[in-house]
Amino acid sequence: MAGSNEVNLSESKRVVPLNTWILISNFKLAYNLLRRPDGTFNRHLAEFLDRKVPANANPVEGVFSFDVIIDRSTSLLSRIYRPATGEEALPSIMELEKPVTGDIVPVILFFHGGSFAHSSANSAIYDTLCRRLVGICKAVVVSVNYRRAPENPYPCAYDDGWAALKWVNSRPWLKSEEDSKVHIYMVGDSSGGNIVHNVALKAVESGIEVLGNILLNPMFGGQERTESEKRLDGKYFVTIQDRDWYWRAFLPEGEDRDHAACNPFGPNGKSLVGMKFPKSLVVVAGLDLVQDWQLAYVEGLKKAGQEVKHLYLDKATIGFYLLPNNDHFYTVMDEISNFVSSNYVEDDKFGEIGNGDKCKNWLVLKALIGGWSFGWY
Amino acid sequence: MGPYDSAISTGSSTSSPSSAAKPSDIDGLLAGAGYKVRSTELHQVAQRLERLETVMVNAPSEISQLASDVLHCNPSDIASWVDSMLFEFNPPVSIPSDLSDFSDLTYIDSVVSPAINQTVCNNSWVEHHTPEQQQQELTHQLTVVTAMEEDSGIRLVHMMMTCAESVQRGDLPLAGSLIEEMQALLTRVNTGCGIGKVARYFIDALNRRVFTPQAPCATGWSNENEILYHHFYEACPYLKFAHFTANQAILEAFDGHDCVHVVDFNLMHGLQWPALIQALALRPGGPPLLRLTGIGPPSPDGRDSLREIGLRLAELARSVNVRFAFRGVAASRLEDVKPWMLQVSPKEAVAINSIMQLHRLLGSGPTRVSAIETVLGWIRSLNPKIVTVVEQEANHNQSEFLDRFTEALYYYSTMFDSLEACSLQPEKAVAEIYIQKEICNVLCCEGSARVERHEPLAKWRNRLGAAGFRPLNLGSNAFKQASMLLTLFSAEGYCVEEHDGCLTLGWHSRPLIAASAWQPLLDTVINHNNLL
Repeated sequence: MAGSNEVNLSESKRVVPLNTWILISNFKLAYNLLRRPDGTFNRHLAEFLDRKVPANANPVEGVFSFDVIIDRSTSLLSRIYRPATGEEALPSIMELEKPVTGDIVPVILFFHGGSFAHSSANSAIYDTLCRRLVGICKAVVVSVNYRRAPENPYPCAYDDGWAALKWVNSRPWLKSEEDSKVHIYMVGDSSGGNIVHNVALKAVESGIEVLGNILLNPMFGGQERTESEKRLDGKYFVTIQDRDWYWRAFLPEGEDRDHAACNPFGPNGKSLVGMKFPKSLVVVAGLDLVQDWQLAYVEGLKKAGQEVKHLYLDKATIGFYLLPNNDHFYTVMDEISNFVSSNYVEDDKFGEIGNGDKCKNWLVLKALIGGWSFGWY
Repeated sequence: MGPYDSAISTGSSTSSPSSAAKPSDIDGLLAGAGYKVRSTELHQVAQRLERLETVMVNAPSEISQLASDVLHCNPSDIASWVDSMLFEFNPPVSIPSDLSDFSDLTYIDSVVSPAINQTVCNNSWVEHHTPEQQQQELTHQLTVVTAMEEDSGIRLVHMMMTCAESVQRGDLPLAGSLIEEMQALLTRVNTGCGIGKVARYFIDALNRRVFTPQAPCATGWSNENEILYHHFYEACPYLKFAHFTANQAILEAFDGHDCVHVVDFNLMHGLQWPALIQALALRPGGPPLLRLTGIGPPSPDGRDSLREIGLRLAELARSVNVRFAFRGVAASRLEDVKPWMLQVSPKEAVAINSIMQLHRLLGSGPTRVSAIETVLGWIRSLNPKIVTVVEQEANHNQSEFLDRFTEALYYYSTMFDSLEACSLQPEKAVAEIYIQKEICNVLCCEGSARVERHEPLAKWRNRLGAAGFRPLNLGSNAFKQASMLLTLFSAEGYCVEEHDGCLTLGWHSRPLIAASAWQPLLDTVINHNNLL
């Protein structure tokens, strides 16, 4: 049971700004309504409540976005964010996939969070975050709209992530000029962090080079109840009970939380010794109840001789990176920026361009011209 | 203009002027996350969230069931959403199977409707279509586009833009030669699908504009167009979405009224109304007396086609024991209709239903009074309970030709792409003709002949707000109906979204059609703004 019925609300209110508290509490309560005890999910209501934003090929604060279809058979969409270069007032359709300019241009493959069940690439909170990443890392960001549980459990999200990685890796227009290769980093929060790890495993097996993994409050777990889970259960927006629900929704029928997808360094985990695994940056929030599993992940990487930087944020809760109103946010953005080494030097004029009056969605027109071809089949 | 953009910049037009929240009052960070909370109200909202959590903790196992039954509205407004949840969950009551127990509840505010038994509202249309879903085998054509074809596709788009730009500049010789080049290029691409098909229609439209500008390209009120409309209705979900959503809103607005009157601005074959009649028949407490006034063009051959449709609807109503009366109003144009023709009685609850009709009123000559103002004015004077408005979500009314051309290219290519998923013939082929006529009207006609003057939801919000209407929220019931409708279409790619109380249906994240509902404000509250 998640603590007593007396919910200790004032504690969480003291550690985050008020608007953050409202945002995350609103999610928490809405999500409580969506999870059914029988393991099904009220998807209609979830989609109704989720705040979404359209792509916008007009630059806003120096960033423009457009959607692409990566795989029609699974309706796999991704949203691509690029810095506006300031040459043209409005990017025409020819400009959307204009080759990136610069010796080294990082491309971030982004996986949004939501415990495998919630949110989308076009959720407002993640659209905002991706736009920030463009500016901070001077990167192109590709946000993957992966299939979600419980309708699409393991391994759908991983398959979609893998498809997106292959797609990004094969785009001629994403190649850095220095070496004609796509410089890929993978970033994900919560379930997105878990996806980053699992897609990286596939990348290593297949020889696609990923330059770095960044995991923000990644979602891991195990059968055992760890000390942090027991101590923090229900205190800062998250309960053991809801974590269990999401794992049951994602993992295959009959599997427990020691399945490798949930517990990569547990009894069923795979050894990473000797693998050319990407270097990792793992950000752990000190008030996240699954931190013991995240720390175990860091330890697991270290023991396997892999390069990992561990950033522990003492008083941070889940979702601290959603609003730029706390120190942890800025600390992490700086770390991410350093981690993604970048020599992207174009004129730094990311000023506001365009009249902002029209919101063009180029997706289908682009798809019609050439997006139907599946270059990697 | 995307719906999200409008939510931020025109916040004041979506609520009555007295309670308008200026953008500067709203917490900017939460706004970036899609939520509207006044900075001064953060503490209150937080308190209500705490209360809601406490209440929810006390009824854990029933929560998700309650959530399904409740009508959710306007999730961006956290304060009102939390209030509506508090209203539903507290005081805790056991859920009766017969929801008539809720009839004596009072409303928190007029926007939050009482919980309506959703099974009642389930349209029989939905159930009938279920077996079809298995029959409709969607074969995904994995058209492998060769490099040369892809190159030709890009060239076609480029040339079309250049051609449109030369048309705008008045350089018709250049436009003409580009058209010839493009037509030659078309022979080298697959015009049966993809960019080739879209280009074919747009090049055809450019061709008409440049070489035969006087040729008529009317859409709308004619019998031929009724057939095209019907096929478009069958081939893709846009019109069905319009009808379902409007009906749901009308049903909710009519709750508690015994005499109701629906005025349909474009009856066509009356496809929208059987579902509403059946839903009213199943209403707890019994159906009201339903009057339907259908507006449509006069029939050329002496038949009274409006009356024929009315008779069929009357038969249906009789078969489900709904007292029904029909009246047809024949008019060539909507602006020719006068309110007295509708014979609205003050004792009735009135619903005005406009499916893709209001935009036709936007073309007005410099001397005559704007048709849209006139019509919106008399709609207000009828004091309807609800005005349901469905419009294409596009900006096809710009005066600059190139802008219009570009907009139309994106809009209709998206629509054509969605149509690829349809396997019904001849519905699909005829639906394409329907769309083609619309394209021609947008691109080839000017002045009063151009009736397809689509404007995006944000503009309609301003217009209706300035004309003295306030928005009613379309809630989660309507959203769920729409989503369920879509699951019957095996094509995955359609998406329903909610923004500020309105619903849009789109294809692959591009909204194509927007549904909203309105009610006139009381005269004392009106701000006499000028219409745009």
